[in-house]
Amino acid sequence: MLEARAFEPEFLRKLDRLVLGIKRARTVRAGQRALGRIQGLGIEPENFKAYAPGDDLRFLDWNAFARFDELMLRTYRADRQVEVTALVDASASMGLPEHDDKLGLALAIGASLAYIGMADNDAVRIGAFSMHRGAMKLDATPFHRRRESYVNFRPFVMSVKAGGETRLGAAVDQLLLQRRPAGMVVVISDFLVNESDAADALKRLVAARHDVKVVHVMGEQESTASYPSGLFRVRDSETGEVRETVLGPATAAAIRRNVEKIAMRMREICTTHAITYAQAFGAGNLESIMERELPRLGIVR
Amino acid sequence: MGLLNPQNFIYGLSLALLVLIYLRSRSRPTIEVSSLMLFDEAPAPVASVRHVRIDPLFWLETATLTALTLAIAGLYVMRPRTPGHGRIHALVFDLGAGMSAREGSGARLDQARREAMEIINQAPAGDEFSVIAYALEAQARHPQTANLADLRKALGDLIPMAVPARTAALRAALIRARGASEIDLFADRPPAAAILADAASTARVNFHLVGSGDSNLAIVSLDPGIPRSTRGRAVIRNFSARPHSCELAIDLGNSEEFHQTLMLAPREQVVVPFGPIRTGGVLHARILTPDAIDADNDRYAYAPSDRPAQVLVLSPDAAVRDDIARVVLAVNANFQIETADPARYLADANASRPSAKPLELAVMHDCYVPAAGAASTLLIYPPQLAKNLPYAAAIGISVNGTLASADISSYAMGEAPGIESLTLGATRIVAIPEWMDLIATATGPAHSSIPLAAIGRAAGGPVGVLAFDVRDHLLLAPDHLDALVLTVDLIKQLTAARDILIVATGADVSVPATGTARVTQPDESVRTVTADKWGRVRIRPLQAGRYIVESGGETTQVFANYYDAAESDLGAKPQAEAKAPAEKAAAASNAQSAREVQPLVFILIALALLALTIESAMLIGHAGRWGMRHV
Repeated sequence: MLEARAFEPEFLRKLDRLVLGIKRARTVRAGQRALGRIQGLGIEPENFKAYAPGDDLRFLDWNAFARFDELMLRTYRADRQVEVTALVDASASMGLPEHDDKLGLALAIGASLAYIGMADNDAVRIGAFSMHRGAMKLDATPFHRRRESYVNFRPFVMSVKAGGETRLGAAVDQLLLQRRPAGMVVVISDFLVNESDAADALKRLVAARHDVKVVHVMGEQESTASYPSGLFRVRDSETGEVRETVLGPATAAAIRRNVEKIAMRMREICTTHAITYAQAFGAGNLESIMERELPRLGIVR
Repeated sequence: MGLLNPQNFIYGLSLALLVLIYLRSRSRPTIEVSSLMLFDEAPAPVASVRHVRIDPLFWLETATLTALTLAIAGLYVMRPRTPGHGRIHALVFDLGAGMSAREGSGARLDQARREAMEIINQAPAGDEFSVIAYALEAQARHPQTANLADLRKALGDLIPMAVPARTAALRAALIRARGASEIDLFADRPPAAAILADAASTARVNFHLVGSGDSNLAIVSLDPGIPRSTRGRAVIRNFSARPHSCELAIDLGNSEEFHQTLMLAPREQVVVPFGPIRTGGVLHARILTPDAIDADNDRYAYAPSDRPAQVLVLSPDAAVRDDIARVVLAVNANFQIETADPARYLADANASRPSAKPLELAVMHDCYVPAAGAASTLLIYPPQLAKNLPYAAAIGISVNGTLASADISSYAMGEAPGIESLTLGATRIVAIPEWMDLIATATGPAHSSIPLAAIGRAAGGPVGVLAFDVRDHLLLAPDHLDALVLTVDLIKQLTAARDILIVATGADVSVPATGTARVTQPDESVRTVTADKWGRVRIRPLQAGRYIVESGGETTQVFANYYDAAESDLGAKPQAEAKAPAEKAAAASNAQSAREVQPLVFILIALALLALTIESAMLIGHAGRWGMRHV
C-alpha cells in the first residue's frame, strides 16, 4: 500500500527541505485573497499610526513624541499559525482500479503535505470524506503542529478504506460547518464527480478565505485505459450502473480522451477561482510529484 | 462406438459440463471501474445478439474433450480393406439332396467343388481355407489350413445327403465361418438376403449358385393298402416345367406288383393306384426314368401281414373296451380282438389261455395284468402300483398321482405336422424309464414335463404308455381327434414288424442290439456301432435306401425314404430371378465387408494434444499481455 510510503524515513528525509507555499498577508483587507494577519502583541514592529483615544498607551512611541511632538502609536505584527487541512477523497472510485492504488497515492500525498506543513509548526490535519448510507462521512485527525507528532497520523492514514459515493460539495459543507479560521485546504481527489458539484465546492472553500490547492489523482491503468479487449460489462463502482461495452483500442482511445477532458475541465475551474491545480497521475510517480511537480506549481517550496 | 455405454456416457458428460460453463460465461465478464464517466465515448456492442461467442479457448477445450470422449468411446471409420497375404477363407457347401442333382457330366456338388478348387488355386500363397458343410446341421469338415492336398481331399470327401438343407443349418454354418475374412457359399438355391447380410457384418461373402436344371420326378408317398383287401396308392410328382415321362415300378419282395410308364404334365402330381397286393411285406416303389435326383426315386412302405393276430383289450370299463377294440380293428382289420374285465380275466386266465394263440398286443386300460404275456403292451392310463410289484420292477414305469386334466399342444411323429392344443381328461403323472422315447408331453405351466405318450423296447417287447384316461368315449369323440391320432400311431408302432423299420431320412432310428452292431449302408459300406447301456444302437440314415443292422444273430432292416417338396423342386424359381437378389445381397454384403474397421484412437488423441498445445500457447500469450490475473 502506497500510503505506508509516506511514513518511511527515507522518503520523509526528502521532504525535510520543503515548506508549504502559503500566501501570508500582513493585514487583512477586504477583497484581498490572502491569509490575514492580526495586529497585536508581537516582537516584530510593523507600522506607526497616530494615536487615537482608546488606544493602548503601552504602545506609544515616546521617542517619536519627543522628536515630533506628536503622539505616535507603534504597531506590531502578531504571528498566527495557519491551519492546513489535507482533504482526501475516500470514495469507492478511489479504490479502483485496485492495481492503480489511487487512494494510497492520495493518502501519501496528503500525509506528505502534512509533514511539510509541520516544518513551520503550522497546525495540520488530514481528513477523508465519502458518502456512507446516504450521509456524508468526514473523518479527520486532530491538528498536529510539530513533526514529532507526525507519526500520530499513521493510524488514521492506514485505516482509510475506499467506499461510498463522492460528494465533494457535501464534504465542503461539513468542513465549513466546523467554522475553523481560514487556512489552507488541499483537496486530493480523482474528481470523477459531477462537474458543477466540484466547482461549487471549491468556490465555497475559496469564499471562506481558505487557500485552496487541488491535487488531481488518477491511476495509471485508468488514465491509459489498459483493459483486456473483448465484450465486457462495466459497472460503476459508486452508482452500480452497468453498461455493456466493447473494450479495445477504440475504447481505450475514448477513455484517454475522457481523462484529458476531465483534467482540462478541472484545470479551468481551478484557474477561474485562483486555485492551484496539480496532477498526480500514476502511483509510481509519488516521489517525482512531491519533489518536482508540487514545487513547480508552488504548492510546496 | 460405445457412447451408449454408461461409462463412456459419463465421459461425454464432461462436454456437457464445459458447455454449461460456457453458457454461464456467456453472460459476459463484468469489470468494475471507478466511474462510467470514463466510458462515455466508448463504442456500444454490436446490436445483434450472438448466441455462440467466438471464444477460441472454449472451442479448443471443446475440441479436446470431444476428441478424448470419442477416443474413449471407440470411434472408428470403415475403410477399404487392404489387400494382403494370409487371409482366411471359408468354403461353405450345401449338402442337401438338391446338390446331388445330375447336370451334364456330374452333380451340382461336383460343379461347386470345381469352383472351390479354382478359388483355392487362385488364392495367393499363405491364404488359409476351411471347409464347412451343412444340410440338417452345420459341420466343419476341415479346419483352417493352407495345405492344399488336405483341402482337395476334404472337398473330395463331400457327399450330398438325401435330406433337405435347412435354413437354420445355413445360419449355423455361416456362424462357424465367422472367423474368416472371406466366405464362399456354394448352394443350389439362393439363401435369404438377411442371412447373407448377417454374415457380411464380419466377412466378405461370395455366393456361388450352382445348377440350373429343373428336371426332376419324385415319389411323394406310397400307401401299400391292405393285402388282398384294398388297393395301394403311389403319388408321383413332376417338378419340371415341361411334360415328363415316368416309368414306375413297384415291387413286393422279389416279385413285381406294378410296372407302368406314365406321362406327367408340367408340375403335375398324380396318384397311381395299384394292387391290392397279395401279401404283406416291404413294398418298394421305383422311378426308372433318369432324372436329376435319385434319392426321391425310391420309396419303401411296409404292408402289414394279413395273417390273423390276437389282441387282448383289458379295461374295467366296458365302454372303454369297446372303443379300444374299434380303434385296434381300424388299425388292422386282421386282428382278432378279445376284450375282458381285468378282474374276471385273472380268474379265468389259467383255464382259458393255455391253448390260445400268443398275443400280438395287450392293451390295458387302468389295469395291469402281468400274466397276459403279449409280444407288445400298451398301457393306457396305467394304475398306481407299488414299486416292489413285478410290473414296476420289470418295466420301470411308476405312477405318482393324477392330474385333473392335461394339454397336448403338439407332437410330432416322423414328418407329421404338429396339431393344435387339446385339453384331455384325467391324466396320470407317469415317470418313464430312460429307454422310452417321448412322443407327446403335457404342456402348460403346471405339468410341462409329464409324458402323455411314450414308447420303448423292454426285454419283453415294445411297451407303450398313454397317460390320459379314455373313458366316456374320449377316443371316439370328434373333439378329441388328437388323442385318437396319438393312440393309433402308438398302436401302429407297437404292432409293426420287429425287424423292419420304415423311416424318413434324417430321422434318429433306435434298433435293439447286443454289444456291437454291424451297419450296412445303402452304398454297401459297412460300419460298426456300439450299443448303449439300454441295448440299442442309434443310427441316422442320411442316404435314401436300405440299412441293415446286424447284432447278436438278429437282423433289422431300416428303410429310409427321402422326399422334400422344397428340396426336390429344382425349378421352384426361375434361376435368373432367384439369383438376382442373392447377387444383390452378396454385392451389398461385399460393399460392407470390403471395408474394414479403422480405429481413430490415435488420431483423436493427437488432435486433443494439438488443441491443448494451441490453447496453452494462447494462454501464455494472454498472460504475457494482460498478466496472470486475466488468464
